[in-house]
Amino acid sequence: MNKKIIWIIDDDVIYQTIINKLIQKSGVFSTHSSFMNGKEAITTLNNILEIHKEYIPDIILLDINMPVMDGWEFMEEIKRIKSKIHKKIIIYIVSSSIAIEDKNKSKTFIDIIGYIPKPISVDDLIAIVSN
Amino acid sequence: MNTEKLWYNIANWFMIRPRTSGFLLFLFLVFTVIIISAQRVYTISENQDNEMNVILNDINQSIEHSLIICYTTTVALELSIDDAGIPQNFDLIGKELFESNPIVSNVQIVPNGVIKYMYPLKGNEAAMNLNVLTSNSLQKESNKCIKAKKIFFAGPFKLAQGGIGIMGILPVHKENKFWGFTAVVIKLETLLDIPRIKFLDKSKYEFQFSKKNPITNKEEFFIPSKLDLSKSYYKNYAMPDSDWNLYLIAKKPYSIYAEVIIRLFLGLIIAIALSILTSRFLKKPIELKLLLKEQEEKLLKNEMKFKSMFEQTAVGFALVDASSGCLIEANDKFCDMLGYTSDEIKDKHFTNFTHHEDVEKSIQNFKSLGEGKIKEYSVEKRYITKSGNPIWVQLTVSRLWESNQKPSTNITVIKDITSKKEAQAQLEKSETRFKSIFENSPLPLWEKDFSAVKNHLVELDLMNKKPETVYSFFDEHPDELYKCVSLVKIIDVNHECLKLHKVKDKALLLENVIDLIDIEPFDEVKQQLVAISQNVKQFSIDSQIKISNGQIRDINLRWNIIEGYEDSLERVILSTQDITDSKIAEADILNSHQRTESLINTIDGIVWEFDFETMTFTFVSKKVETILGYTVAAYMGIPNFWEDHIYPEDREYALRTSKLVNKTHKNHDYEYRMIAKDGKIIWIRDIVNFVIEIDKPVISRGIMIDITIMKEAEKTLNNSLYLVSEQNKRLLNFSYIVSHNLRSHTSNIESIISLIESADTEEERNEMMHLLKSVSLSLDETMSHLNEVVNINTNIGLMISPLNLNIYFTKAKDILCEQIQLNEVSFVTNVTDDAVINYNPAYLESILYNLISNAIRYRHPQRKPIITIKLYNEKGENVIEVSDNGIGIDLARNGDKIFGMYKTFSNNPESRGIGLFITKNQVDAMGGTITVASDLNIGTTFKIYIK
Repeated sequence: MNKKIIWIIDDDVIYQTIINKLIQKSGVFSTHSSFMNGKEAITTLNNILEIHKEYIPDIILLDINMPVMDGWEFMEEIKRIKSKIHKKIIIYIVSSSIAIEDKNKSKTFIDIIGYIPKPISVDDLIAIVSN
Repeated sequence: MNTEKLWYNIANWFMIRPRTSGFLLFLFLVFTVIIISAQRVYTISENQDNEMNVILNDINQSIEHSLIICYTTTVALELSIDDAGIPQNFDLIGKELFESNPIVSNVQIVPNGVIKYMYPLKGNEAAMNLNVLTSNSLQKESNKCIKAKKIFFAGPFKLAQGGIGIMGILPVHKENKFWGFTAVVIKLETLLDIPRIKFLDKSKYEFQFSKKNPITNKEEFFIPSKLDLSKSYYKNYAMPDSDWNLYLIAKKPYSIYAEVIIRLFLGLIIAIALSILTSRFLKKPIELKLLLKEQEEKLLKNEMKFKSMFEQTAVGFALVDASSGCLIEANDKFCDMLGYTSDEIKDKHFTNFTHHEDVEKSIQNFKSLGEGKIKEYSVEKRYITKSGNPIWVQLTVSRLWESNQKPSTNITVIKDITSKKEAQAQLEKSETRFKSIFENSPLPLWEKDFSAVKNHLVELDLMNKKPETVYSFFDEHPDELYKCVSLVKIIDVNHECLKLHKVKDKALLLENVIDLIDIEPFDEVKQQLVAISQNVKQFSIDSQIKISNGQIRDINLRWNIIEGYEDSLERVILSTQDITDSKIAEADILNSHQRTESLINTIDGIVWEFDFETMTFTFVSKKVETILGYTVAAYMGIPNFWEDHIYPEDREYALRTSKLVNKTHKNHDYEYRMIAKDGKIIWIRDIVNFVIEIDKPVISRGIMIDITIMKEAEKTLNNSLYLVSEQNKRLLNFSYIVSHNLRSHTSNIESIISLIESADTEEERNEMMHLLKSVSLSLDETMSHLNEVVNINTNIGLMISPLNLNIYFTKAKDILCEQIQLNEVSFVTNVTDDAVINYNPAYLESILYNLISNAIRYRHPQRKPIITIKLYNEKGENVIEVSDNGIGIDLARNGDKIFGMYKTFSNNPESRGIGLFITKNQVDAMGGTITVASDLNIGTTFKIYIK
C-alpha cells in the first residue's frame, strides 16, 4: 500500500501538535504538511500544481474556523482550480463544531468526502486512508 | 342738315354744362365791356386834346398878334434912324408909337447895344445907358439876335425899371454894319392880358409860360403854379422868334378814367349777373331731369318691393278677376300652399279649390263684394290642395276698385292656419281628456278659482310681502281670514270627492261646502294664503277635514295652478287625498324605525350607510360621539369628513382599500387609525357590506369597531415577542459559541489524554502533559471570555449616566500610550470638551479601548496610523465614529463574521477574535447598533449608534 500525502489545515496550534503525533502513530502517511489557514494551503497547492505534481496531497483535513481564509473559502478556491488538479484529493472537514448547520453546509460541497468531529483518533486516520 | 345738327350739338354742349357756359358768357361780356371802355377813354381824351389845342392856338395867336405889333413898332423905330445912324424925332415918333400900341410899355433905341433913347423916360430911368450886349440877362440873346438879323424877343426878365417884362429887339444895320437895336419893352402881364387866358376855365385848365434860361439853360416858369408839370397832362407850343413855351395843363387828368371805371364796374356786375342767371337757367333742366330720374327709381323700387312682397312673403297673394272670380295671378306662396304651379292656377275659378262645405259661403261673400255692399271681408275657410288635402286658411279679400267704378280686380291674401286649427282641435281634445281624467281620478279632486282671493290679497296689500308679515296679519284679523275662505269659488268636484265626503251628488256637496270645509285648522288655511301671496304654483300640506257624518279624516291637501292661469289663479286643481290609513301605517313604520335606530345605537360600533349615487353618508349611528367624539351631524354633513380624519399614515392605505372594495363590491373588513376629536388615535376595524341592485352597488353599509385596546395589547405582545426572540437569538448564538469554542479545547484534551495513555516514553508523556497545561490555560481564557459575554447579556438595568466623551477617550489613550508612542499614532477629533453622552461608563471605556487598539493593531505597514474620532447626530441618534487609515478588511468576504467570537482575519499573532465580539455585545446591551465600513488598504470606519 502506497503511503499517502496528508495536509492538515487548522489554526489551532495544539491540535497541530496532537495530529502530528497521531499521524506518526498511524504510520500510513508518507508526508504530512501543516497550514495555519486556507490561504497558506491554497497558495502552496497553486505553487506545486505544475512543477511538483508528486507533492499534491491525497488527503486534506480541513478546519472550518480559521483566520484569513476559512474552510468554506478554501473549498471555493478548490472548485476554481479543480480542473487543473489531475489527482483525486480526498477532503475531510475536521472541526470541533457539532452544529448541524456546519455539517449540512459541508454536504453542499461534492469534494468534501466527510465530516469528522474532533477529537480525531489514530483509528480515524487509518480508516480515512483505507477508504 | 349737318349744320343744323352741329348747332344742336353745340347748344346741347352748353345746355349740359351750365357752369362752363356761364363762365364763357362772363368772359365774353367782360371782354366787350373792356373794349367799349377803352374806346370811350380814347374818345374822351381825343376831345380833350382837341379842346386844349384850340385854346392853346388861340392864346398863341393873341400873343403872336401882340408881337407883330411890337415888330411893326420896332420897324417903325428903325425907320426913324437915318442913314447916319441918328434917330430922327425920337420923342415924337416914340410917343406916337407908344400911344398907338397900348401893350408897349416902352420903346427904345439902342445904338451899339446901349440904351440911349427911351419913351417914356419917366419911371424907366434906371434902364438908361444899360448895355444890352453886356447885361447879364440880355447878353446871349442879343448876340444871337445880331447873328439872325431879325427881331428877337428876349426875356422875360426883371426890368431895371422894375417888374417883369420882355424885350423885342431888332438889330439895325447901317451899310451892312451893325449899328444897334431898336427895342420895345412889353410888360409880361400886359402881354398875357388876353381874354382867352383871362376867361380860361380855371377849374379845368391852367396856363403856363416858360422860357429856357439862356445862361443856365434851364426852363423857367413865370406864372406861379402849384402843379408839377412832369406829373400832369398838358399841351405845349414853342414859339418862334423867342425861346418861349406855352403850356395848357389839364387840372384833373384822371377825371375821364373815373367815369370809365364806374361804367366798367357796372359792366362787370352786369356780366356776372348775366352769367349766373344763365348758368342757373341752364341748370334747371338738369335738375328736372335728376328729379325725374329719382322719381323713376323710387317708382321702380316700389314696384320691385311690391313684386318681391307679392312673390316672397309668407302669405299667399292672388289677384282675382272681380267679375268672373277667376285667378289672374298668384304668388309662389299661394301656389305652394295649394300645390299648383303658377301656370296651372291661372284662370282657375276660386271654387275649384274651395272645400265643398265652404263653397256656398264663399260665393255669397264674393257677390257681396262685387255688388259693392262691402269693401273687403276676412274669413277662415278650407281650401283643397291639388293632392286633395284640406288646408285651413285665413282669407282676406279686398277690392282694388272704387265703389263708383266698374269691378276690376280683387286682391286675395291667404295665410295657412292649419297648424293653428290643429292646435285648437288638440286643445279641445286635451280639455276633454282633462275632464275625463279629473272625473275618473282615484284622488278626490276639486277645481277651484282663487282669483277673488288673490284680488283681495292685492287689496289688502299683502302680495309678495314677507311670509311672516302675511301670516301675522291673518293672526290679527280673523275676519279677513273668513272673508278669504268665502272668496274661494268651487268650479267642479269629481266623483272621488263625493265618495270622500260621503255625499250623493255634486250639488249637495257644493251646497254644504261651508259646513264641510272646517277651517278649524287655522294654521293650514293661513299657510295657504301665505303661499298665494308668494305666488307659488304648488302647495302641499297635511290637514284634516270633517266629512258629512262628522267623522274627522286626515288628508293630504295639495294644489297646483293650471298652466296659463299662474297670474289670475282662476283655475286651481286641488286634491284632498285621504291619508288617514297611511298615517296610521306611517306611525307604525316610524315606531319600528325608531326601535331599529335605538337598537343600532346600542351596538358598540359606529354603524354607517353610504349612498353611491350621492356619494354621501345617509346614516351614521350615535356611537360616533362616544368612539370618536364627533357629532353625527358633523360626520354626515361635512364633506370628506371620514377621509380627513383618518390618521395620516394610514390614509393612503385606507382610501386605496376603500376604493378597491367599492369597485369590486366584495364584503370586506380592514383596519386603520382615525384621529378622535380629543386628538387621540383610535384603531378602527371597518366591516363593509354592499347592497347590490342590478349588478351595481347602490349602498354600502358597515360597522366601525374601536379596536384600540386590542391593538395596544397586540403591540405589547409584539414588543415582548421581539424581545424574547432577540434573547433567543443571542442564546442560540451563545450556545453555538459555547459548543464550538469549548469543544475545541475538550477535544484537544481528549486527544492529549489518549496520547498520554498510549505514550511509550516518559518524555513523550511529559510532552503531552505540557501540552495539556497550555490547553488548560486557553480553556481558562475562553471560559473567562464567555463569562464576560454572559455578564454583558445578563446585565439588566445597567447604570446609564451622562459621560464626558473626551475624558473616556483620553482614558483609552492612556492605557494604550505605549503602543501609541511606539507606532507614532496621531489622533484627529471633533469631540468638544463639553460633549456629553448617556452611556454605561464601563462599556464606553471598553468600546473605545477595543476600537482604538484594533485600529493600531491593523495599521498599514507603510504609513503612520491616523485615528479619527467623531461625535455627531444622525437621524436623532448620537453616533460615535472611529475610523483609521489601516489595512482595512474585505467586508464582502468577512462582513458576516466580523463581530463573531474568535473570528480573526489576519495572521497577526495578537488577533484573538474577542474584542469586536465583546464590543458588539456591549453595544447591543445598550440598545444601540454598531456598523462597519471598510476598504482594503484604505481604512476602516466603525459607527456606534447610541440610543
